[in-house]
Parts: sequence; C-alpha cells; structure tokens
Amino acid sequence: MLGSATKRAVPEEKKAEVTDSRAAGATSTEPVTKAAGRPAKTIETRGVNLFYGDFQAVEEVTMTIEPNKVTALIGSSGCGKTTFLRSLNRMHELTPGARVEGAVTLDGEDVYDSRVDPVAVRRLIGMVFQQPNPFPTMSIYDNVAAGLNLNSTKISKAQKDGVVERSLRGAHLWEEVKDRLDKPGGGLSGGQQQRLCIARAIAVEPEVLLMDEPCSALDPVATLAVEDLIGELKSRYTIVIVTHNMQQAARASDVTAFFNLDETGKPGHLVEMGPTEAIFTNPNEKETEDYVSGRFG
Amino acid sequence: MPEVARAEYLEELANLEASALGGLDLVNIALGRTLEAVEHQDIELAQIVVADDDRIDGRYLEVHQALITLLATQSPVATDLRLISSLLHVLKNVERMGDQCVNVCKVIPISGNEPPADEEMVRLILTMGRQTKTLIMQAKRAFEERDVEMAQDLVRQDDVVDDLNRDCFRLALEIGDDIDKREWAMTMLLAARALERTADNAVDIGEQVAFVVTGLFREFEDASHPS
Repeated sequence: MLGSATKRAVPEEKKAEVTDSRAAGATSTEPVTKAAGRPAKTIETRGVNLFYGDFQAVEEVTMTIEPNKVTALIGSSGCGKTTFLRSLNRMHELTPGARVEGAVTLDGEDVYDSRVDPVAVRRLIGMVFQQPNPFPTMSIYDNVAAGLNLNSTKISKAQKDGVVERSLRGAHLWEEVKDRLDKPGGGLSGGQQQRLCIARAIAVEPEVLLMDEPCSALDPVATLAVEDLIGELKSRYTIVIVTHNMQQAARASDVTAFFNLDETGKPGHLVEMGPTEAIFTNPNEKETEDYVSGRFG
Repeated sequence: MPEVARAEYLEELANLEASALGGLDLVNIALGRTLEAVEHQDIELAQIVVADDDRIDGRYLEVHQALITLLATQSPVATDLRLISSLLHVLKNVERMGDQCVNVCKVIPISGNEPPADEEMVRLILTMGRQTKTLIMQAKRAFEERDVEMAQDLVRQDDVVDDLNRDCFRLALEIGDDIDKREWAMTMLLAARALERTADNAVDIGEQVAFVVTGLFREFEDASHPS
C-alpha cells in the first residue's frame, strides 16, 4: 500500500512551500540507500481521462511506463502531455476544477485510491520542472535537505550531511558546489540550479522522477549535462520526461510516446508508443512520422 | 496545424534524390559508350569514358556533401533519415559503377587496334552490358517509385548477367592455343567481371529501395550463403 492518507495539517502560510517541496518529493527522512542498478517501479495507466472543469484535456490514455528506462512524452503544444505527466503523481488535481478518470498504478498499487496520501505519492514520484525552482535564498545545502527538514521525524546532522552529499553527487553537482554549500541556491547558473532541483528530488529517494521539459531553459552545454545525468539516473529510477526537443527525446530516452490532438479544443490522445529508435527511424503511424519529421507541430 | 512544414528542406531532399538517381543516368551513358568501345575496339571512345568519369565522381562528391549538410543541419528522422542513408549508399554504388566502366575501358587498348577478337565472346560481353543497363534503369525506376517488387525483380535480372559471365569464362577456357587470342580473352574476362559487379551494384540499390519503404534492411541475395 502506498502511504496512507494522513491528517497532516498544513498551515495556510506553509502551503505554497509545501507544494513546492512535494514537487521535489520532499517528506522522507530515510537516507539515500538505493543502490545503483536496483529495479525501480512500473507505472501503468488505464483509460486515463483528464479534465479542467468541463474541458477534457486528455482522452483514454493507456500505457505502461517501464522501470529503469527513460520514457519521453512528445507532442505539439496543447496535446496534453504535461497534463498527463502531472496526473502520474497527482499534481493535476492541485489545479482548481481539475479531475481525473481512469487508473494510475505504481507497481500495481492504485495511486488514486482514496486511502492513499497524495503527499506520499509525490514523495515516491518526484518532479522536476521546466524552470529551475530552487529556493533562491536558501543555501545549497538546505535546498537539498528541504524535503528532509519538512518531515517531522528528526535525523542526525551527520545523516543529513550524508544524504546531501550523496544527492549532490547523484546529480553531478557535488564537485562544483562542495566548497560553497552555505551559499544561496539562487546564485548557481541555470544548469546548476536544475541539477540542484534534481538533487533535491532524489534526496527523498523517490521511485519515479517526472521531468517537465527540464532543459528548455538551459543552454546546450547545461542541457547535455542534464541529459547525461538522466542517462545515469535511470539505473536507479523510472524516468518520464516531457520534451519539445525532438533530438533530446531521441538522445535521452529509451521509449517514446507521441501524443496528438485532432484539432484545437479536442482532447489529446496517445497516438503511438514504442522504442525510441523505432519511433525515430520507422514509426508505425503516419501521424507520428509527420510529427517527428517536423511536417507539422 | 499547417499541412506541410519545412517545405524548403523537403524540396532540397527531393532535389538531392533526383541528383543522386541522376548519377545512374550518367552511369548508363558511360556504360553505353563502354559497350560501343568494346564492340568497335574504339580506343578513343574508351579514353573519353575514362576522362568523363570525373563527372560521375563530381556528382558523388557534390550530392554526398549536400546530404551530410542536411544531416547536420536538419536532423532528419524516420523516412527522411532512411532516404538519406539510402541515397548515400546509392551514391557509393553510382561511383563504383562509373569506376567499373573505367576498368573495362582501360583494358580495351591492351590488345591493340586490331585484336584477335572472338565474335561469340564479344556478343556475350555486349549482351551482359545491355542487360546491366536494363538493371540500372530498373533500379532507378524502382527507387523513384518506391516499388519493392520491382526492386526484388532485379535479382532475377542479375541472374541473367551472372549466367553470361559464366559463359564468358567457359568460352575463355576453350578459346584455343593462340597466345594473342588467349591474352585478349583474359582482358575480356576482366571486362565481364566488371560488368557483373556493375549489375550487382544495381541489385544493391534495389535493396536500398526495400529499406526506404519498409525500414528493414536485408540482402536480396547473400553471396556467402546462397539459397
């Protein structure tokens, strides 16, 4: 069973921060012990329909997201790929009026079960956003430890030091920041900030990492650094990445899912999903071929 | 959504395909002249074919470079990627076929202006050459029309060339004791071998047609594991 729903009371003034921390998957106190190469978890969706009020954004998406692989969601703007991504860790429901139909499971366990605590879901399924969003005035150290700090259970300073170092190493950032851990996270470059956010996300040891266009605000060098990191992280996590960058999907993912919509105002749907190599060399659907070839979109 | 994006890129790709396949027309002209030079022992015409091979090499270099540029700048994928990959193969075959014409033309002067030619052997070589021309044009058409069946039929056409090549070999063995005639026959065997290779290049182009259409590459015939 995923973490049960709790009566956790969140003061109003803390809500924004908690939401942000949830996004980074921030409520565990367990040290990072996940060994490299450990099997991650499988996400399955069955007939997922997503709504914003009366507007249906996504229609009938059924897919299996395999563990220890990078799955890229591609498609033109408005096709619902980000909405779908946000439904995987119950962030979609944070939008007023948003609604989810269908089933999302993590290794067979229903993510939307009424007894499941959404916060626990977001700890297991962390998220990295388009714009790097470290807490700008908080130190680099505290940014990584934010998730641990928000949990009520105390851990020792030594344990926390260990988690911070392992997370920063895991995010390929340790060597660059180890001498200035007390400096503000906002002082890092864009690429470093994004890797800091990834460190923050993996500090609480999620099973899945969702990434919503994680490189769109980065320069090419920082982009390649993050892509390299994604390639390494997949040995420990299940990774889903939304990207508009076809070449990034081709370079960085193992599986690609193409979403499309028939016309503006209609819901997006899954057109085709398969090994990235096949999608970019010999897709089954003409729609996919036209999109990846840049014929439209 | 716009119906067609990247119109300029698509036009460029179509033009490059036409240029690459146009290389087969150049080869066919060269092969026609080569056969004429063989038939009439026309050493001057043979020299023209040798000199003119620069045009085929030039076409290879020009289109090859443009395809590399397209790969570098346009990030082609799916059918476009397969097409570009295939065109690079086609170009290589075009260049090789041009070189085989040169190989034939270079052996023509060896036996002088009035060689002790064997009429039957010349007939076999000319028949091989004409059949090879047919293969080249069929390969071009199959590529243009993305016709896998037509491409696969090249194997059958190639078998005719292979049979003629074996006939040439048998005839050379039985050509008699005259040393000049035997020497001439040896040069004609080299010519037959070059034509046989050229026909094989046409089959290779057919295999690329199947790859462009289906996304799967397989040899129509495996020389190391004949069926």
